[in-house]
Amino acid sequence: MIILGQSVVSPVITTLLYFLVFGFSLGSRLDEMGGISYMDFLTPGLMMMSLINNSFINSSFSFFLTKVHGSVVDVLASPLSNLQIMAAYTAASLVRGMLTSVIIWGIAAGFGANTLHDPLLTVCFMVLVSCAFSLFGLATAVVSKEFEHVNLVPNFVVVPFTFLGGVFYSISLLPGAWQTVALFNPFLYMVNGIRLGMTGVGDVSIGSCFLVSGVFLAVSFAAAWYLLRSGKNLRS
Amino acid sequence: MANVAAAIRFEGVSKRYGGLAALDAVDLEVEPGEIFALLGPNGAGKTTAIGCASGLIQDFEGRIEVGGYDVRKDYRVTRRLVGLVPQELNFDGFFCARDALFFQSGYFGVRPDRAKIEAMLRKFALYEKADTNTRRLSGGMKRRLMVCKALMHDPAVLFLDEPTAGVDVELREDLWKVVRGLRDEGVTIVLTTHYLEEAEQLADRIGVIDGGKILRVQPREELMQELGKRWVELSFSVEVEASVFASLQADRVEQVSGRVLRIEYDPGGGMSEEEHAIGAILDFARSRGLVVVDIRAGRSSLEDIFKGLLARKGGAA
Repeated sequence: MIILGQSVVSPVITTLLYFLVFGFSLGSRLDEMGGISYMDFLTPGLMMMSLINNSFINSSFSFFLTKVHGSVVDVLASPLSNLQIMAAYTAASLVRGMLTSVIIWGIAAGFGANTLHDPLLTVCFMVLVSCAFSLFGLATAVVSKEFEHVNLVPNFVVVPFTFLGGVFYSISLLPGAWQTVALFNPFLYMVNGIRLGMTGVGDVSIGSCFLVSGVFLAVSFAAAWYLLRSGKNLRS
Repeated sequence: MANVAAAIRFEGVSKRYGGLAALDAVDLEVEPGEIFALLGPNGAGKTTAIGCASGLIQDFEGRIEVGGYDVRKDYRVTRRLVGLVPQELNFDGFFCARDALFFQSGYFGVRPDRAKIEAMLRKFALYEKADTNTRRLSGGMKRRLMVCKALMHDPAVLFLDEPTAGVDVELREDLWKVVRGLRDEGVTIVLTTHYLEEAEQLADRIGVIDGGKILRVQPREELMQELGKRWVELSFSVEVEASVFASLQADRVEQVSGRVLRIEYDPGGGMSEEEHAIGAILDFARSRGLVVVDIRAGRSSLEDIFKGLLARKGGAA
């Protein structure tokens, strides 16, 4: 129960606060965003932010804590291959990420959000992004030597780049030059990918969203596999 | 328990950390079903050797086989054969002892067996704490849980890296019983320890390692006989100077107190046959008109032998 509270309830409450502040307080002053209600616009963004955070945190902290507690030797001395270790941590992160996102979607529906444009596309995209950040978290945990190292990514990469990636606004509201700059933020494609799946509305094409997220998945996979195989900070 | 005849073979194994040779061209064979004690001071290379054989260290030179399989090429086979109890205490802060054993089976491809988990918890006196988070277990309990985990997949080879470090005497003796029981079931056991008494009590063969080099590998009794000194402590009715015994062919005569002398001798040395040595010493004392009022005898401990071996190596260097 403690684990469920920390892993699922806590991020859901955090996201609920976003709904209250941005959805109700500020959102009530906005008629629409990108042609849909602000609540419909906001819901996919918050779900993606939660998915990314929870996928990353689950694998990174789970693995890093086994290093701190010393129990990582139980896995390293086992017959599990590096790919099996990666698959296990990714699957666990996927469960947590999807679960929190689905709960957030349910809460948003309770607030009146209508976001069932293309459920299959939405789920596929969420799985893609969740796997990418699970593996990114695992790679980060392998190279990290201190808690601060693991914390760097959510605090200084995930949160600012998702905020700037169009969770709360459409980049069409930005001045021309900043719209171009925003296109270099990979998180923009992840936020818009889920938004296109849930509402049919987005700042970029769904193809570019899959492409950027797919490249991120490939890079994260390669990094996690290489680091586990090299044994750096693990088998030395 | 184990149904695979297992042995360990190191062939020219070297492991370097920068300029430091943790293992230096180590050749070593551990026979199936024996308890092999690896002794050495801190930094000698004991834990590195276990790490290389168990898969925790992979970038070493040379070749290591477990049960005839290469530990890197055939790692899935060798790691199923090996159980590891690492030196550092560990725990999993997310799980209780029962769950930790459940998952440990899965890591090795063994279907978790609730009945076996219950039996292991009882065997290692952890049953009362089975549902306690492993973070909250005492040091001794954590150590016992680590041994339990290492045995969950019925390994043919068990590596025990300082298994009784920080545990009380009662628990240490319980663990010794377990180790002997495993050996009787055919499990090959490699033990490193700082408690030399532990090796003396348990080991069939002993390897002495220092500076990454194996200095000597011998059966325990043979090592004791070859290198073990015997000593006799004589209490006299009057004060006696050690120099009185200067002409005796003893290795060392030490003045313990005014009336007590400790005489060390090599049972295979020039003084006398072992069984006659004490008689010869007493005859020598009588021939000097000395009256012996008390006598104690014994032989050097493994610790003394170990120190002697390292001193020889230092002297030869």
